[in-house]
Amino acid sequence: MTETLVASLVAIPLLGALLVVASGLVSERGPPVVAAAVLAVQTALAGWVGSRAIVDGSLSNEVGGFVAPYGIELVVDGLSAVVVALVAAVSLAVLAYAVRDDPGGTAFYTEYLLLVTGLSGMCVTADVFNLYVFLEISGLATYALVASAGTGRSAVAALKYLLFGTVAASLYLLGVGYALVATGTLNMAHLAVELARVGYDSPLVLASFGFIVVGLATKTALFPLHTWQPDAYDDSPDSVSALIAALVSTVAAYALLRILYTVYTPAFFEAVPVARDALVAFACVSIVVGSVLAVAQSEVKRMLAYSSVSQYGLVVVGLAIGTRAAVFGAIVHLVGHAIMKGGLFVAAGTIDDLTGATTVDEYAGLADRFPVVGGASAVLMLAMVGVPPAVGFAGKWYIALGAVRAGTWPVAVVVFASTLLTLAYFAILVERMFVAPASASVQATTDGGTDAEGDRPSRPAPALVALIVGAAVVALVLGVAVTDLQTALEPTLDTLLS
Amino acid sequence: MTDIASLRPALAVAVAAVAVVPILASGRRPNVREGWTVIAAASAFALVASMLPGALDGTVLVSSLGTLVDGVELTLRADPLGLLFGTVASLLWLVTSFYSIGYMRGLDEHAQTRYFAAFAASVAAALGVAFAANLVTLFVFYELLTVATYPLVTHDETAEARAAGRKYLAYTFGGGVAVLAGTVLVATMTGTTAFTAGGIAGLAGADPVLARAAFVLLIGGFGVKAALMPLHSWLPDAMVAPTPVSGLLHAVAVVKSGVFGIARVVLDVFGVDLTGSLGLGLPLAVVAAATLLLASVIALRQDNLKRRLAFSTVSQLSYIVLGIAILDPTSIVGGLLHIPAHAFMKLTLFFTAGAIHVETHTDDISDMAGIGKRMPLTMLAFGVAAAGMAGIPLVAGFVSKWYLLLGSVSAEQSIFAVVLLLSGVLNIAYFWPVFYQAFFESEDAADAKPLVEFPLGGEERSIRSDSGPDPDPVTDGGHADERNEHADDDHATHDHATHDHHGGPPADGWERRGWRGRESTWFMLGPILAAMTGAVVLGVVPGTAVFLRLVKVIVAAATGVSV
Repeated sequence: MTETLVASLVAIPLLGALLVVASGLVSERGPPVVAAAVLAVQTALAGWVGSRAIVDGSLSNEVGGFVAPYGIELVVDGLSAVVVALVAAVSLAVLAYAVRDDPGGTAFYTEYLLLVTGLSGMCVTADVFNLYVFLEISGLATYALVASAGTGRSAVAALKYLLFGTVAASLYLLGVGYALVATGTLNMAHLAVELARVGYDSPLVLASFGFIVVGLATKTALFPLHTWQPDAYDDSPDSVSALIAALVSTVAAYALLRILYTVYTPAFFEAVPVARDALVAFACVSIVVGSVLAVAQSEVKRMLAYSSVSQYGLVVVGLAIGTRAAVFGAIVHLVGHAIMKGGLFVAAGTIDDLTGATTVDEYAGLADRFPVVGGASAVLMLAMVGVPPAVGFAGKWYIALGAVRAGTWPVAVVVFASTLLTLAYFAILVERMFVAPASASVQATTDGGTDAEGDRPSRPAPALVALIVGAAVVALVLGVAVTDLQTALEPTLDTLLS
Repeated sequence: MTDIASLRPALAVAVAAVAVVPILASGRRPNVREGWTVIAAASAFALVASMLPGALDGTVLVSSLGTLVDGVELTLRADPLGLLFGTVASLLWLVTSFYSIGYMRGLDEHAQTRYFAAFAASVAAALGVAFAANLVTLFVFYELLTVATYPLVTHDETAEARAAGRKYLAYTFGGGVAVLAGTVLVATMTGTTAFTAGGIAGLAGADPVLARAAFVLLIGGFGVKAALMPLHSWLPDAMVAPTPVSGLLHAVAVVKSGVFGIARVVLDVFGVDLTGSLGLGLPLAVVAAATLLLASVIALRQDNLKRRLAFSTVSQLSYIVLGIAILDPTSIVGGLLHIPAHAFMKLTLFFTAGAIHVETHTDDISDMAGIGKRMPLTMLAFGVAAAGMAGIPLVAGFVSKWYLLLGSVSAEQSIFAVVLLLSGVLNIAYFWPVFYQAFFESEDAADAKPLVEFPLGGEERSIRSDSGPDPDPVTDGGHADERNEHADDDHATHDHATHDHHGGPPADGWERRGWRGRESTWFMLGPILAAMTGAVVLGVVPGTAVFLRLVKVIVAAATGVSV
């Protein structure tokens, strides 16, 4: 019974999108309500299916009854459970912000639910071509969401993202094509067996690996394939940036993990060590360069975007090193980063609404005027730096432990240095918010006079404050509960790493 | 030692941490807010003190807070070494709370709620560092200590304070990263990071290159907070913070957490024997000795009193590190005993500097001739504490120095005994002029300060403000000369429209205030005299004051030798 529910993880948001269109024809308030209801159901369902998957072992479902490898198989193991639940919960939380921030029309909510469909589909599919389909669905929905601000800049950002994203997905498809030519199957489990049989050093297999990794790395926005990301994050509506920062690259990194370990398996890395070394080097460069570029930013949302480039570098380093601790650390950091970055984007959007402040200098003195928002943001920033006991520290600890155990000393040094690099840009923000004299935009709110730029609320909406504080609390709780997550994911990690 | 599960170690940390909430909530009612601070300090001290008798007898209370990350328990364990640091921190927090009230109200400072809340959080983190049972728990609280003290360093919110805060974060987080790296190495080599008296067994059999690397990383990381040269330069700049912060945190809690970390690494992670056989004791001792002497020489040239005290702190912390690095049981007793001894003495000195600042707005030694008329009790306390710093008997510094000297001779490293004696002379050289000029020089005929700037034989001048511009003494940073620059950062945010912002005596010379305490508020005088008395008690009856007994128990457990 639960197995059929796996398919509904994809079906429900998809049908929900249609329902949104229908309700939009009837009433103007219909779409947000329907979207909220659908996402609530999706969260409950993801929680239920996920807990069953963790407790009872992975669940699989063959869509339409067609047997793999001809049919599409959907599989939920411990890892997919965590990520699909994350997608559902975060999209529900950000919806609360989206409704307040930029009440879009029917199209906006339809695209929102289509994005959730695509992301959930990516999490549960066990077929590499099906992954491509969902990748494209989520991509198209994201391009539309980025452009929904209606400004010229958002249109350009969306176009840039579309060009990069389509090329990336096409590269991924090319890689899948090579794999199909080599093995004749698209099902992940079968591919694993067949690729081993064909031989990991066959040019077809190597080519497919290369294309797939580059395609997914672009979607994850690793340096130097990241250039679509700062514009997309900065120029899209604030709620959309929160959603895509938290989820889109996260699921792309998840897809990379899935393909590396379920399709290519650790045996591939042992047969072709240069592939591992290249991926590790690539990710290390991303860690360092992302942070360096972040320090140079004056716009806060762009700073957060370059920060993501660095943090995903950390995740991919953990994936590539391949020891158990490192892979678990990558998963922890993936989930933790989604929460922390999502919370920070919601905070940035809230602050923009309250004061119009979007640059680091304009943030000066914010914490005096808005202590709760400022305090929760500082907690999130320090959590990203890696101050214990928050989740940022936990992820880094495991990745560092894995790196040291694997004997890759330069990587370990880079992982430790990433704390200081992250500190470099977040310390500037924390200092501005707490210790610098108030900037003109912040002072305008305290004076309480009429604001030339229109009505600005004088206090942040309680729901938004709750979201930001909630994100900070979850970041701390996750940091402390990491060992429970480890116990839950033991069997999944065993399967992945064998 | 028997371990008994108990809530008390966790409760001591929690009392201080939880106090942040009512302090923040009662921001509008200052007396209630200060009441919360005092209650929290008293409760924390009571809890810590209640664990002392048991620890002296061999019963150690342990609070287990669950698993933080794989294989690492977040555990707080009130063992003798932890209680040494914990007692010092909690007792002196109580004393400093009263002093803070006097100081902050005397200057009508801004953001007092944030100040008291951050103070409570800092002490909670310091207690967490003290009671940590393994390297990872210590790292967690070490980082939280940095976060909690940052708002205190940048309290003034001036450009200078912000720059000091940035330097502080960069240095201390850098140190934290080194500690994390060393911790990960130890965890990889031995599978555990728990503190074990005599050292973690697995390290003895591990690869010596990795073991040395882990030692260097850990000592370097803790050495930042312990102000070992060349990692010390955050400390003089952090003197821009309010004086109670400089006193309790940057002379007692934060810097002592650094030396405490070094003590833990040498005694409970590597063990004295392994440190010696890896050949790491001598290099560390050389670094400590160099810091000792260099910092004392630099202190001679400081005109700003707090900066002089900062360099004195840098120098005195290396006494502790030297004592531990000599690896002889007697010297370790001396080093560890210096933790409470220096804490009491240095706190007294910083409190006197703060009282002088509040009462007369004087920060530079060159403006303090004759100030003994205006603040006799304060300067008397200064003299007593300074005597202790130099190692004069009957004050605490002598006892710890005695053990250090004996230990270095018995370990056949007498060069360090010479270094210590030389440092004593230098201490006198930079403290004695301050005391002497306060009581035995007058504002009209003061010997120019600092000592080293002016021709031998001295140069007489008047420091009264109506005697025309004098050439600026050369200062090594700190606050700009207050007579010639009106924009003094420290005063920028004060409501002192009617006060003269210039330091130094008023036009008619110092007022005579008498010896009955009319020189300042008892909120400040009381703690000054209390800290001074503590220093004297430790010097006169060290065997009865609990610290020496505690230290002997620690060293017996760590080295197997009873001193």
